Amino acid sequence: MRQGRLIATGAMLAFCLFALWQSLLLSLTDRLGPGPGFFPFWLALIGIVLAIALLFSMWREPQPAAQDASIEEVRILPHGWGALRCLAIIGLLAAVTVAMELVGFRLAMLVFNAALVIALGERRWWIIFVFAVLGSFGVYYLFTTWLDVLLPTGQFGI
Amino acid sequence: MEALGHLLHGFAAALTPGYLLYAFVGCMLGTLIGVLPGLGPAAGTAILIPLTFSLDATGAIIMLCAIYYGAMYGGTITSVLINVPGEAASVVTCIDGHQMAKQGRAGSALGIAAIGSFVGGTLATVALVAVAMPLASLALKFGPAEFFALMVAGLCLVVGLAGNNMLAALLMTVIGLLFAMIGVDPVRGAPRFTFGVEELYDGIGFVPVVMGLFGVAELLLAAEKRQTHMVEAELKSWMPTGAECRQSVGAIGRGTVVGFVLGLIPGVGAIVPTFMAYVLEKRVSKTPERFGKGAIEGVASAETANNAYANASMVPLLALGIPSSPTIAVLMGAFIVNGITPGPFLFKEQPELVWTVIASFFVGNVLLLILNLPLVGLWAKLLKIPFSYMCAGVLIFCVIGAYGLKQSLFDVWVMLGFGILGYLLRKLDFPIAPAILALILGPMMERSLRTTLEISGGSFAIFLDRPVALGLLAVPVIVIGFLLFKPRSLAPLRESDIE
Repeated sequence: MRQGRLIATGAMLAFCLFALWQSLLLSLTDRLGPGPGFFPFWLALIGIVLAIALLFSMWREPQPAAQDASIEEVRILPHGWGALRCLAIIGLLAAVTVAMELVGFRLAMLVFNAALVIALGERRWWIIFVFAVLGSFGVYYLFTTWLDVLLPTGQFGI
Repeated sequence: MEALGHLLHGFAAALTPGYLLYAFVGCMLGTLIGVLPGLGPAAGTAILIPLTFSLDATGAIIMLCAIYYGAMYGGTITSVLINVPGEAASVVTCIDGHQMAKQGRAGSALGIAAIGSFVGGTLATVALVAVAMPLASLALKFGPAEFFALMVAGLCLVVGLAGNNMLAALLMTVIGLLFAMIGVDPVRGAPRFTFGVEELYDGIGFVPVVMGLFGVAELLLAAEKRQTHMVEAELKSWMPTGAECRQSVGAIGRGTVVGFVLGLIPGVGAIVPTFMAYVLEKRVSKTPERFGKGAIEGVASAETANNAYANASMVPLLALGIPSSPTIAVLMGAFIVNGITPGPFLFKEQPELVWTVIASFFVGNVLLLILNLPLVGLWAKLLKIPFSYMCAGVLIFCVIGAYGLKQSLFDVWVMLGFGILGYLLRKLDFPIAPAILALILGPMMERSLRTTLEISGGSFAIFLDRPVALGLLAVPVIVIGFLLFKPRSLAPLRESDIE
């Protein structure tokens, strides 16, 4: 946990430093008053101070015993089946985003729904089929026809 | 009197079949979201935004507000039946509610929760009617300096509630504000932090961000854990007995006051009023030993405070344009998506909309009471939906919501990225609420500050010349200073206080 928080705070410090550099490329003030870089510059500066203060406070915290630390580290990232389920959700979401552009919402979502419920433990094929069809073609019809929401049709117009 | 006239006009609009239907659908969906463990009101409101894309602004806001209230009540059902709060504010309800369920009194617990929610929500809306307009009139006298100070105060109060995690909360606020800087500069129109990416010229979309941080992150957290199984609780009757109602009258009254007062303070969060109302009830009770063992006053006080808070938290949003919690920030995002800027000008420029929405709060409370008492058994059955289907269903809505607003797949990637980020930040105990509030308030804060400095010729001394702004800027200094240097005797409320 402590190590994870240190890394995260370090990443935020890097983000604030980057924002500070980028804001310096914009004008901080001009003849009308504060320029586009003014607010982000001060925010980034405050962020840097806060990140350093947070890193310092974490560094001062008493370190847990080695045995406890190992237990804590395991808990931060998912493991076992939990990790696989999380990876399935992230991977399938990324895949459906790419696929929607190519084959459209309906086909991409049909495969996404089926793959996701299988990955999360469902094995009854007829339920998977009904859910996948309703969650893709049914949802597409509901949103485009009834709710006037445009959804991607892909390169083949389906 | 003027407010009453406006409210009557609001009722005339809110009771038209179309708006009644939106409120009804919102209450149903909200309760459904609240019932499903792991999806809180913020996530629920965020993922259901796409349903309102085709509605007019008033209808969209009515439906989203109804989803919010419905979710606040829906969480009670799981708290009572399976000892798992559907949303954070229902944690306290678990204590006595689940004990009552174990004693075969689940119906009484859910019944008194529905009645308390109705009374708390309705009385808080009456108070909202009385308070919101004078507050908005006062805020109309504010200049950009006062608005900047007000937003700083609102953000710092949210940060102050982070307790020991205050440095992290402050840092998250700054990170949220920096993300809000992406896009075209609101004053001069110059692109900032866009790196030539066309999609970033409009800034990072609020809807994909909240869908990622709440919807996707919540699912990732839930996917990691083992699923809970429902304990079959007996639902003999959904009405509490006369004696139980009499026992709960005082608790409902006190819960309403606690919920309303705390709802007016930005950053308090939904869990604090329920916690405070419960502790207060235990302290005033002649038989405090019953608390934790199935005392109906424990359920009544917490649930009443919960809904009174939900209605009262609309006051800072409608009158001042300040979201007091992540869910209210999502609602504010929905206002903005529909071309409405919440704040004092709303009462002046769009009175029909604002009073129709307020009238719909009353309607929504009645609908929730009608829906929740007889349909408790049906909601309980929804707990049996397997996680795999719930997860896929929520993700469909997230994808549509992120894509649908601008028809941009880039926003779906933004949602996924923020989902992973939200998951990691939650695991590492970094508070997300300040970042969400900062993201939505960022452009307005910048515009107010820069306009103020343009008026003053670049001098910050303008804040010293404006007593209201100075007073508001003193609030965060006092709050943060107090929290940093508070005496040890003033330790925050702990869970042991309610055990």
